Amino acid sequence: MDKLKKLEEKYRNVPIPENLDAVVEASLKKGRKKRAPKWVLGATAAAALFTASLNMSPAMAKTLGEVPVLGSVIEVLTFVQYETDKDNYSAAIDVPQITGESDEIRALNEKYATEGKALYEQFQQDMKGMEQADGGHLGVDSGYIVATDTEQLLSIGRYVVETVGSSSTVMQYDTIDKQKEIILTLPSLFKDERYISVISDYVIGKMQEEMLATNQEKIYWVKGGGMPDEEVIDAFTSIRPDQNFYITEDHKLVIVFDKYEVAPGYMGVVEFEIPTELIKDLRMSDEYLK
Amino acid sequence: MKHQHVEQVFVTFIRANKERFYLLAYSYTKNEQDALDTVQDSIQKALQSLHTLQNEEQLKSWFYKIVVRTAIDFLRKNKRIQVMDDEQLGFLSPPQNDTYENMDLEDALDTLPPAYREVIVLRYFEDLKIEDVAHILDANVNTVKSRIYKALKLLKIQLTKEELS
Repeated sequence: MDKLKKLEEKYRNVPIPENLDAVVEASLKKGRKKRAPKWVLGATAAAALFTASLNMSPAMAKTLGEVPVLGSVIEVLTFVQYETDKDNYSAAIDVPQITGESDEIRALNEKYATEGKALYEQFQQDMKGMEQADGGHLGVDSGYIVATDTEQLLSIGRYVVETVGSSSTVMQYDTIDKQKEIILTLPSLFKDERYISVISDYVIGKMQEEMLATNQEKIYWVKGGGMPDEEVIDAFTSIRPDQNFYITEDHKLVIVFDKYEVAPGYMGVVEFEIPTELIKDLRMSDEYLK
Repeated sequence: MKHQHVEQVFVTFIRANKERFYLLAYSYTKNEQDALDTVQDSIQKALQSLHTLQNEEQLKSWFYKIVVRTAIDFLRKNKRIQVMDDEQLGFLSPPQNDTYENMDLEDALDTLPPAYREVIVLRYFEDLKIEDVAHILDANVNTVKSRIYKALKLLKIQLTKEELS
């Protein structure tokens, strides 16, 4: 029996490679990911069934109506994940999906899925191109954050960080009225186009203020912030009518600019919260912005 | 819901025992990279067929079976061993009383033909029941018993009757 013990000892003494952990974790992740489509199928089927039964049976609709959770049925899930990690090339793309039944939400999900797929295909193409040439570094990291999630509102921001030498970041927010299942656009929040100039003026003022206060440690592309005018090329003058935005939990409007859009790269993605006082007369209603 | 639970149990089981799987894989591949590949492939295969698992108690022998098959497949693909049936094996194996007589104990296990080595590993090092070993190796219980018996003989290890069963 001693012999067997010794043999077992030898068997156990094989050194465990350092990367065993990493290999195991990666395969656990990958294995589960592969089955994601199946799960999505299941979820869609369940959602379809759910609607069907709502439509078919008034009794069921009524019963469900009394269940309090129904109001918060809208949520964000990860729909697909794409991942590549190869030498100098890496891509990690998480595509969100918003649960909801309205056409607007469906269209939004479709847009997310298409854009996510396109991003991944573009990455693969770029990677091939670079491999055929001298090689290089290429990274795409895309995902989403939930900026706001209340009973009424959902703001999600999808980001794409592309790294080719230096990196660029694009942030795209969508804000949804969860109860009405509609997408809020910036123009839809206001009565007319006056908001564009009011918000632009406020943002410019804020930029100048921050530049002066930090002695130009913070820099925006605006005049009047302490930088010689001739150094400000292509100064920021106005937001776009459909400028990126989200709404905070306490109903404040936040205007968002991509990296490089209004400032040098080191400033990253830039955000400005707009005081509601300033735009209260321009609002369509006081439903969303307070 | 149930599926999620099974997956959770599986993930926990893998994380807790990954070193054992590696050692088991290594006992076949004898090489670090191949053993890692085997572990990786096994986990992915398992995740994809997790729904075929009948109950949690079978998880261990179910997953070991996957590891063993993956390792053997791996070797087969890389042509490092030839798979033989018992008859051939008996014919080709050296007579038990001379060749193994003076072997160094340290290497004893490695010099055992794979069919004998694996039963020793599974039964004694991984502490599996004979029935489970049979299940993992797709062999019947009596075959496993006789292989263990012969393996021990080759290793010149004497066990009592109780230890054998």
